[in-house]
Amino acid sequence: MNKRRTVAALALAGIFVALYLTLTKLGLLGGGALVCAVGSCEVVNASRWATFLGLPVAVWGLGYYLVTFTLAVVSLQDRFGDSIQVSRGLVFLGATGFLFSAWLTYLELFVIHAICQWCVVSAVLATGIFVASLLDYRELQRLAVSD
Amino acid sequence: MAANSSGRRRSRRARSASSRPNSFYLILGAIALVGVGGLAYVALKPEPAVAPPAELPADLADLGPAQPYVKGNPDAPVKIHEFADFECPSCARFAVITEPDVRTRIVDAGRASLSYYDLPLPQHLHSYPASHAAACADEQNRFWEMHDKIYEAQDSWSTGRTNNPKNIFRDMARAIGLNLSQWEECYDSKKYQKRIDANHAEAIRQGINSTPSFIVNGRVLRGAISFDELNRAVTEAAAAAQSGDTAAPRSGDTAR
Repeated sequence: MNKRRTVAALALAGIFVALYLTLTKLGLLGGGALVCAVGSCEVVNASRWATFLGLPVAVWGLGYYLVTFTLAVVSLQDRFGDSIQVSRGLVFLGATGFLFSAWLTYLELFVIHAICQWCVVSAVLATGIFVASLLDYRELQRLAVSD
Repeated sequence: MAANSSGRRRSRRARSASSRPNSFYLILGAIALVGVGGLAYVALKPEPAVAPPAELPADLADLGPAQPYVKGNPDAPVKIHEFADFECPSCARFAVITEPDVRTRIVDAGRASLSYYDLPLPQHLHSYPASHAAACADEQNRFWEMHDKIYEAQDSWSTGRTNNPKNIFRDMARAIGLNLSQWEECYDSKKYQKRIDANHAEAIRQGINSTPSFIVNGRVLRGAISFDELNRAVTEAAAAAQSGDTAAPRSGDTAR
């Protein structure tokens, strides 16, 4: 259960990071004025890769963290405590976030040549969520085997 | 048997779950607090300073004085200096929505002159080409017509839309009646690179690092400000100029 709590805590932190990036992308943060500025996050957020399927990547991130946080909190209910399906769901979300973050980090390093520190924070959180969800899944499997 | 084992599992996990439920919610609360506090701080803090970009020479004086594009009476009591990037969406917003009013009600009315300085930001790959396109239109006294075309159609030529915006700029040059071969030769040779860099250098000297930014008789206004905000700044600057409290004149202005 502690792994699921970890997932929930990391996802909650991720919600705020993604919210910050979303508001920045939409021009609602950073002095409150509509500006274009110099800075690695601005470079990354203004690049052509900052939009995925018509939506800003930051918005996808916000959705990902919200869904993950919700599922993680729900999974803490006693009746889902042993649900391997819920664990699989968390692993699926964790893997999706991890792979997407890995792709974005690759783009930052080798294509855009600019690193946005908040994107890195998000990638670390997504990795943590993936690892914690995997550990949760393995724990449930081990318990099933030991029984 | 299955139900039994499941029951044992639940009890194991439930035991660990009930060990520190309050501390878990305390941690969630702390994360939420830090998150909300961080967002509030970012929303309220002033803009950070940014180092000059690498594409300019170490000694900015090598570029000579800035040569902005000036509209209106250069001897007007109030001078509006605009620092902008042709590929910046906020600059396009200002140019398309706000600037027509600024021209008729402030510049053409003789209340202030408007000087445009290039400030190409590194994330916009086609900013320099756009500045070249405009500078080459200025050679034929059509800078502002080109300026308007470039901003109005920003979506069609910006980074990610096309790899080479030249053809789109050439169509604009044709539409505003430029001598095409002269424009193209100028554009291809990057004839006004030094002028663009000198305008860019002026932005750095003035501590401007975001676009659009405006300096109205020494007062800095950042972002795609509204007509009312700019109008107020011009009115106040004119009143101050009349009472003799003017900012020092700037060296880089050249009337066109």
